[in-house]
Amino acid sequence: MSSGAETVAALGSRDGHAVLSGPLLAAARRIDTLFAAWAARWNAEEFRFPAVLPASELDRLDYFRAFPHLATFPVVLDDAADNLRRLSSGGALEEDGSVRLPATAPVRDVLTPAACYHFYIELAGSSLDRPRYLTTVASCFRREKFYRPLFRQWNFTMREVVCLGTMEEVTSFLASFREALNGYFSSRDLPIAWEDATDPFFDGASNPKFIAQMVDPVKTEMVFSGELAIGSINSHRNFFGEAFGIRRGGRPAFSGCVAFGLERWLYAFLTRFGAEPDRWPTSLWDPA
Amino acid sequence: MKNEAEIRTHLAHWVAERSNTPPEEISGATAILEQRLITSLQLMELILEIELLAGNSLDVSRLRPGAFRDIDTIYKNFFARKVG
Repeated sequence: MSSGAETVAALGSRDGHAVLSGPLLAAARRIDTLFAAWAARWNAEEFRFPAVLPASELDRLDYFRAFPHLATFPVVLDDAADNLRRLSSGGALEEDGSVRLPATAPVRDVLTPAACYHFYIELAGSSLDRPRYLTTVASCFRREKFYRPLFRQWNFTMREVVCLGTMEEVTSFLASFREALNGYFSSRDLPIAWEDATDPFFDGASNPKFIAQMVDPVKTEMVFSGELAIGSINSHRNFFGEAFGIRRGGRPAFSGCVAFGLERWLYAFLTRFGAEPDRWPTSLWDPA
Repeated sequence: MKNEAEIRTHLAHWVAERSNTPPEEISGATAILEQRLITSLQLMELILEIELLAGNSLDVSRLRPGAFRDIDTIYKNFFARKVG
């Protein structure tokens, strides 16, 4: 019988991606069901979004200044027949395996870097007459310096539960969610510590948003066993409300989200409870 | 250098002006970042303003969470020892 750590190591790596099937895939699905059960406590409306976001919308958030190193762009070819023939006529790859791209069409989109961005775009220009609780699960992409299956992947799965409302409504939502998670972590004997964190800004020292996060922490991570953030609780203040013209009570709405990294939860369960999900405590699947 | 009351009043007016808030609503305990009375860009301006008032520069890399929470905290962190 292999240990959880051996199972993680044996997942193999396609550029750091895990390929799931059988009991591990079933466990991953159950983990997301757990997240969805927490979202249901707030009657969060479920959305399903496309894998891409318009670059113009992310630019409103100054995303490319703050996180250019994380962005992944979907690229398509200029569809002129001559141009397409340059690829189809053979010799598509360089010796190092990279694609010998002919001319590309203008890039106007970004592969989703975080699930909740979609909500602010969706609600842009709206005025909320009540707090909105929303949830989605998305396949996200972030370019990183190294990859490890389940631990740090280019393409990973993120479930988010979002609240938009007044400052008090969002503060209350985040505090209640944290309390629920605390109860879950302690009763399942999961070694999780809450740690203040900052987003991984590019050239942070020269970015006012990074300095602001440093002195006014808005992100608290759930750190498993001192080594891996498996989720986070984030207060955005009224940043998205201002950027997208979303209002609540006549003022820019406040927002906050709870984000879960699905593959990282799987890593934590494998490491803590062993390689066989069938032998894991059944209480893991109970959101209470 | 201004005395304590002058520094506090100066900071309250500075925040009030940028947030379109009446100065009398900015108390020593008003959470200026949490309520987003100032933006992250304005935080940089606030740092410059504190440097001007205190007469020395702040080492941004050594700032700690909560350092600019409210005017009470700002005064305690950057002025109290100097004004005495």
